[in-house]
Amino acid sequence: MDVRLRHNEKIIAFSVEPAGDGRFSATFGDRRVDVAFERISEHQLRLSVDGCQTLAFVAETPEGKAVMVDGRTFLLADERAAGTRSRPGAANGPKAVTPPMPAVVTQILVATGQAVEKGQGLLVVSAMKMDTILTAPFAGVVTRINVAEGQKVAPGQVLVDLDPPAADPPAADRAAEPAADAASIDQGGR
Amino acid sequence: MFKKILIANRGEIAVRIMRTCQEMGIATVAVYSEADRHALHTLSADEAMPIGPAEPSQSYLNMDRIIEAVKQTGAEAVHPGYGFLAENADFAERCEREGIVFIGPPARVIRELGDKITARRIMHKGGVPIIPGMLEAADDPAAWAAGAEQTGFPLLIKASAGGGGKGMRIVQRPADLTAACRAASREAAAAFGRGTIYLEKFLPKSRHVEIQIVADSRGHIIHLLERECSIQRRHQKIIEETPSTALTPALRAAMGQAAVAAARTAGYVNAGTVEFILDPEGRFYFLEVNTRLQVEHPITEMITGLDLVRRQIEIAAGRPLSLTQEEVRGRGHAIECRIYAEDPERNFMPSPGRIAFLREPAGPGVRNDCGVYTGFEVPVEYDPILSKLVVHAETRDLAIRRMTRALKSYAVLGVRTPIDFLLDVLASAPFQAGETHTDFIATHLAEWVPDREALELAALAHAADAMAPKARPAGRIAAEAHPGPWHTLKHWRL
Repeated sequence: MDVRLRHNEKIIAFSVEPAGDGRFSATFGDRRVDVAFERISEHQLRLSVDGCQTLAFVAETPEGKAVMVDGRTFLLADERAAGTRSRPGAANGPKAVTPPMPAVVTQILVATGQAVEKGQGLLVVSAMKMDTILTAPFAGVVTRINVAEGQKVAPGQVLVDLDPPAADPPAADRAAEPAADAASIDQGGR
Repeated sequence: MFKKILIANRGEIAVRIMRTCQEMGIATVAVYSEADRHALHTLSADEAMPIGPAEPSQSYLNMDRIIEAVKQTGAEAVHPGYGFLAENADFAERCEREGIVFIGPPARVIRELGDKITARRIMHKGGVPIIPGMLEAADDPAAWAAGAEQTGFPLLIKASAGGGGKGMRIVQRPADLTAACRAASREAAAAFGRGTIYLEKFLPKSRHVEIQIVADSRGHIIHLLERECSIQRRHQKIIEETPSTALTPALRAAMGQAAVAAARTAGYVNAGTVEFILDPEGRFYFLEVNTRLQVEHPITEMITGLDLVRRQIEIAAGRPLSLTQEEVRGRGHAIECRIYAEDPERNFMPSPGRIAFLREPAGPGVRNDCGVYTGFEVPVEYDPILSKLVVHAETRDLAIRRMTRALKSYAVLGVRTPIDFLLDVLASAPFQAGETHTDFIATHLAEWVPDREALELAALAHAADAMAPKARPAGRIAAEAHPGPWHTLKHWRL
């Protein structure tokens, strides 16, 4: 059985050969490891990899399966199920105006019908006392504002519809990343 | 002593305060917003009062609602924790007026020390060293230019109403002064409703070292040693430790005396923190006074063996501070790591969401002040702090090892945390050498990427999780597989 997992942009491909009785062998390229496993509880597994015992903690999250081993936590998405569980925001294409994290809309900076430049601030979202300005991924016209101030929003949700000027289609160079360094306003400090 | 205290806060700090109250035999009242109906602090108190919607201004910052909750529950005192209303002089004043004891300094002291330029003037008058710079706030370019001339470059612009890095800017050259001052003033006006700023000499390669002070209402003031808080991201501390590797016994004594002098000059009562900037030559300068319990207070508790919240409550109740300076002894070394819901891979962006699984570290010398649990939905409306992991050991080296072990056994799944990042800070050569300066992260870990050594192991765990049968609830298995005595012993009774 071939397994393809994704951690951020990295693909981990290997094949798994079940050996029965809580055992399997996994092959990474030309390297093979023998694994014994046992579920201790819903979120806890005992693994023995080539005879070395380790505990693993697992939980399903909206971004994939969170796995903690050896003090490190990894988010692993099953590539075979990639169509149904892609990274939030990606589903709507890199040009969508969507928050990078669950947040509350605190300020809308533009109006429907307004022409905006690439990089212009469209709205401010706030999460956990940090404000982030979401900017226009390309120059265009605001055709629709889908949210109101005070509304809770999630990654993947398109907050503002933007149409590029007809003569000037958007260059598919850069994703609609919020400029975290430049545009974030930190209110913390204790 | 008080019979009942209302805790006007949420999360880990509210839980922590309640624990001391319980040990003192004092009943606790939690207040909670709609987002916190099932928060740990709500569940941990003897009574819980709803105070409004999730939006902080309508709940945790809403004085009317909180005062109403105090009256309704008959609490005699309010502990404000940190953040929210903790440094709000109006709230302290309102409590005083309504006959409610505010567990913190008098309103007048909060007001004076809350204005940074007023605090600078008070300290200057009291003989506490301040950073060279202006003693009057200003809002016009001529005054800025004159101040800059006198201060010299590089300099730091600060908002007189400041806090949390807002309105703060470093200016390297005279040519950039006016524009930077204007921008800082605008930012301050937007954040604090007042655009006045002042200029201070910028001290690069400095450390942030603070002194904990405790003062009773009879004028007895002592300090409880220092905390080194130089490891920061976006002007926010993430690792604190005590003792500081930069202090000699003589410097510690001098800073402690300065902090006590600062408290005396300000007329301080209750627990507070005097923050200093320490330059590479061992010169220290007054930064500000935090007129509340500090987030990182547990490391002081670890090395001194004192319960700061208990002392706060006793002082607020009018009791004398039964502790002399000579009795204060620091033993061993303590480190705190702040566990925020944030993503170190994406510039520490907040990461709210549901805690799918939480397993807290344990063991000798380990303390985790935690405000969440498995299944809790971390709200987007509040500070991202989930817990503070604190360790205590005999030496700094042992404390680093202990913290490393504790962090490695800390599972927080469902939201992102900086645990991986913190492990790499602790493992870095400059941290181990005690070279902790305020530019630490920018200098040493700007290009940080998570360690992927265990990635393959994680992939194997992923595969094993898919193959291992899902566990059923324990109770159900027992009931189905082995009928218990309650099923088989028909009419038998205890």
